[in-house]
Amino acid sequence: MNAIDTAIRAAAADIKLIGVTKAYDAQTVVIPPMDVELRAGEFTVVLGPSGCGKSTLLQMIAGLERVSDGKIMVGGREVQDLEPKRRGCAMVFQNYALYPHMTVFENMAYSLKVAGVRKAERAARVAAVARMLALSDYLTRKPGQLSGGQRQRVAIGRAIVREPNVLLFDEPLSNLDAQLRHDMRVELSELHRRIGATSIFVTHDQVEAMTLADRILILNKGRIEQFDTPKAIYHHPASVFVAKFIGAPPMNILPVTGDGSVLRLADGQIVAEARLTGSYQLGIRPEDIIVGIKADGHAVRAVLRFREDLGSHSVLAADLAGSVIRIATPFGADLINQPELFLNLPAARLHLFDAETGRATCRAFAAQ
Amino acid sequence: MSSDSTLFSNRWLPVLLVAPMMLLIALFFYVPIFQAFYWSFFLERPFGGGSEFVGLDNFARVLADPEFWKAGWRTIIFMVTASSLAVLVPLILAVAADRKIRLSLPARNVLVWPKGVAGASIGVVFAFIFNPFVGILAPLNSIFPGIWAPGINGTDAFITLIAAHVWGGIPFNFVILLAGLQSIPRTMHQAAAMDGAGPWRRIFDVQLPLIMPQLFLTLVLEFTESVTSAFALIDTITNGGPGGATTLLVYKIYMDGFSGYDLSGASTQTAILMVFVIILTAAQFIFLGRRVNYER
Repeated sequence: MNAIDTAIRAAAADIKLIGVTKAYDAQTVVIPPMDVELRAGEFTVVLGPSGCGKSTLLQMIAGLERVSDGKIMVGGREVQDLEPKRRGCAMVFQNYALYPHMTVFENMAYSLKVAGVRKAERAARVAAVARMLALSDYLTRKPGQLSGGQRQRVAIGRAIVREPNVLLFDEPLSNLDAQLRHDMRVELSELHRRIGATSIFVTHDQVEAMTLADRILILNKGRIEQFDTPKAIYHHPASVFVAKFIGAPPMNILPVTGDGSVLRLADGQIVAEARLTGSYQLGIRPEDIIVGIKADGHAVRAVLRFREDLGSHSVLAADLAGSVIRIATPFGADLINQPELFLNLPAARLHLFDAETGRATCRAFAAQ
Repeated sequence: MSSDSTLFSNRWLPVLLVAPMMLLIALFFYVPIFQAFYWSFFLERPFGGGSEFVGLDNFARVLADPEFWKAGWRTIIFMVTASSLAVLVPLILAVAADRKIRLSLPARNVLVWPKGVAGASIGVVFAFIFNPFVGILAPLNSIFPGIWAPGINGTDAFITLIAAHVWGGIPFNFVILLAGLQSIPRTMHQAAAMDGAGPWRRIFDVQLPLIMPQLFLTLVLEFTESVTSAFALIDTITNGGPGGATTLLVYKIYMDGFSGYDLSGASTQTAILMVFVIILTAAQFIFLGRRVNYER
């Protein structure tokens, strides 16, 4: 196994985007100038809703889409004007894009064949990758005779057999069922640890992002909302967009106003002490809310609407000051006859966002 | 049976819908063909009235005729060259149009127009285009006198026929092949590009293998059609000349039957031609059809 590992261990390259822009014309700007740096060997997940430009970004790095402006540096080399094959990138596509008329072996060996690698070496390298991906028994089959998970592994094998410096994944797991997706996630994680190629993984699935990424780059309308570790993104979202995009159920966002000493909800209930004035958006994760049945301290009163029992915990939906707030709590069944809830929002767990820009503002709670 | 009833509530409706087409095919294809087969065993009088069963005498007579073999050989040459070109030229055009090169959109439109032109009209137009005095090759003749003379030179006449046939075959084959190319997913091209294959390499490694079903279809149709559809072109461009150089079997059948009044001989040759086309098509399916990969 060790011999195989070293055989297909890639020389990872760092990637730098300098003012990279994609625009079809003056009106349709898909990606406004973007600067970002991905470290060598890092697994970056690009996360965003559909149409946020994440696939376009990936295709520009791959060389399948032209860059309107800016520079792409891979391993210190300027590549934005090079053909795809000269960038040292390999890609795994969403619908696998395997060649249906070629066997699994031919599919994986094709890039080596094009590159003029000798037949014996081609066979050896494909065999090594096939062993690693448990595909050795399927080399003579055509893609049509494989299951979805096997096809996905062939697509991955085809990408890594060339020992690329950069591995690009374009929503590769979205065609698989839930169980298979989970298995492939684990496999991909292991694979990345063994190969070590700089990887960029595009997805709209936050679970994939949280589990796979060293760092997550969250895109919204072509702009970077936040680029940080999964942990930091979860605990310190940089904007309302990120806060609502990550977490299931997502973070609750409530409009509040500060009068210099306390923050009040829209219905006047005091939610926290803070030396702030003006309008803000207050965020709190469903699992950070403490549910009580008696009013104490700054607990706010909410009316329970419905309850979803998930076994390990329950998700409650309640009306609070004109908006719906979701609470994840281990106590579900006990509250069944309790239409009135008292919610304690711990000051340390509150997130404050600017009412207009939606960006996180510094926290200034008196109670800390 | 259940699948029929799910599509049509009335079981006679499908029959009714198919009937006109079946009637036409029977009346203008099956009846004449079987009549030709039947007549090929009889000696018919040129002006009707009384016929005599002669067994295989007609076949013996036709097969002993060197003119039949010459016409048959020309038919095969025409079939192979004209139908190969009639697939190859649209294929090149389709690959180019698929690539979205400049002007490919209007070209796509214009290339389909010949579909609306009847074979005889194509013949008349090409007779004019390749006319040695006023046609497009006329300037060549003023430099090298006599280099282009389809009226005298059999090869030149043959080339004219092939050119006309290929042009007439462009629309259908172009549409079928272009549709095949366009149904190849974009990611397939992207994957090949990522694998390092340039545009030329992708044509042979990805595009052609993936449109094999379409290529096979056009080839089979072309091979069978080229045997008979050449008639209109020959009749309008060369009349089988010069010196019989463009008399293909289908034209010889017409001449023998309707000018020479050798109805039995013409029927016999029709029967032979028919059997030849059947064998040819079957052979294509047996030797090529099995290798076509229909998987996408």
